[in-house]
Amino acid sequence: MDLHNIEAHSTLDARGLTCPMPLLRTKKTLKGVPEGEVLEIWGTDPGSKNDIPHFGAKNGNTFLGLYDDDEGYTRYFIRKG
Amino acid sequence: MASTSFWSSLKEEARRNYIAIFEQEWPTWLAGIFLALVALLIFLWQGPWGVAAGYRNLGDWIFYAVGAGEERPYSMWLHPITLTNTGLIVGALVSALMSRQFKLHRAPPLEYAKSLMGGVFMGAGAVLAAGCNVGGFYTAAAMFDMGGLAMMAGLIAGAWIGLRYLLWEMEHLQQRGVAQHPPKESWLKAQPFMGGTFLVLVIASFYTFAVLEKTELGGLLFFGFLIGLIMHRSRFCFVRAFRCPFMTGDAEMVKVVAMSLMIYGMGTAVIKWAWIQEPAMGVNHNFWMGSLFGGVIFGIGMLLAGGCASSTLWRIGEGQTKMVVTLLGFALTNSLLATVLKNFDLYDKMGQGRFIPDTLSWYVTVPSFLVFFVFWAFVAIWNEKSEKLVMF
Repeated sequence: MDLHNIEAHSTLDARGLTCPMPLLRTKKTLKGVPEGEVLEIWGTDPGSKNDIPHFGAKNGNTFLGLYDDDEGYTRYFIRKG
Repeated sequence: MASTSFWSSLKEEARRNYIAIFEQEWPTWLAGIFLALVALLIFLWQGPWGVAAGYRNLGDWIFYAVGAGEERPYSMWLHPITLTNTGLIVGALVSALMSRQFKLHRAPPLEYAKSLMGGVFMGAGAVLAAGCNVGGFYTAAAMFDMGGLAMMAGLIAGAWIGLRYLLWEMEHLQQRGVAQHPPKESWLKAQPFMGGTFLVLVIASFYTFAVLEKTELGGLLFFGFLIGLIMHRSRFCFVRAFRCPFMTGDAEMVKVVAMSLMIYGMGTAVIKWAWIQEPAMGVNHNFWMGSLFGGVIFGIGMLLAGGCASSTLWRIGEGQTKMVVTLLGFALTNSLLATVLKNFDLYDKMGQGRFIPDTLSWYVTVPSFLVFFVFWAFVAIWNEKSEKLVMF
């Protein structure tokens, strides 16, 4: 799947936040995402690179992938299951 | 056919190991084993490992520098715990540089305020409990001081309260992300060389201490360095063990900390039972009031700051600016409250250390200790599936 062309239903800007806030906000925001839609998360905490993929694959959701943006942050994609 | 010489094979192997050590993250269970072993080495080398007293030393110096203290505090470069803490920061710094991950992270304004408050709470809690998550809990438990277990109960309660606050904050306070500066290519390339330079400096410091006939202190600096390296490479965070069961249900860190403590505790049992070190060593925590309430306050603080006494240090090493605020809040509060309690003679009323084998004998203590931590891990594993303790 080409992550660069994903149309996300909503985007969560967690840049500058550190553990556990990015994960906490992801969990909360994901609750408001309709099933089948994609949530995109922007983060800068190095710990999120483990946490978000791990969490995004639980509870029937799918973690679609992540990549480092040129602007110095990481973009994560989770499809609500 | 150039690649069959001894040197090219050595080079290839070195490159592969570099990637394994500095580019791939270490599994936390491995770090849990390493951490217990280094803590045991510190116990054999000098005495029980702690962190908070180093923060207090820094706080004492800041107060002294502005003219608020009468007595000159203990010299920082001769203070055993200041040295392990310094080693910890430098170890994380070297690790971050070697992995090209060092970066000055900026946080939103509210995060700085929380970092400060977190530091203040942790500083206060560490005075009451006579130690932080390391000296008051991890080491205290492994030394078989009941205070360690009382603080553990406090930390669990404090983490619960702290997470409640974070959830409230998320519902009521809007927060926007802050853009970060993308790293320059030349900076990324330079990092491993800077890391190597710091590594050489740490080793040179050890020999300098040795030449000055203070090998013990040089060793402590080096052990701190190893801990910083281990913690940064695995992103080892005690807070997760207390927070995650309530947050995502994830049990991994509970399992790792429980296992690490079993190794640390059994090592200590050998050392103390055989009288290699005094059995009463490190049994000086404020059981039970100080440890329990200190644990609660500390637990709230570590949730606010997003780091405990040890992870604040390694996160400073990787460039988290907000953790410097935590360090200062922790150091100043700890120094101030310790002085106040001492002046009002309140310190001894918080409780005193209780050595478990004195009550239960070694024969009962050792298996009970193991069963206790296995039980903790199993509750967390059960909760991972059932999510009974998960808050939202």
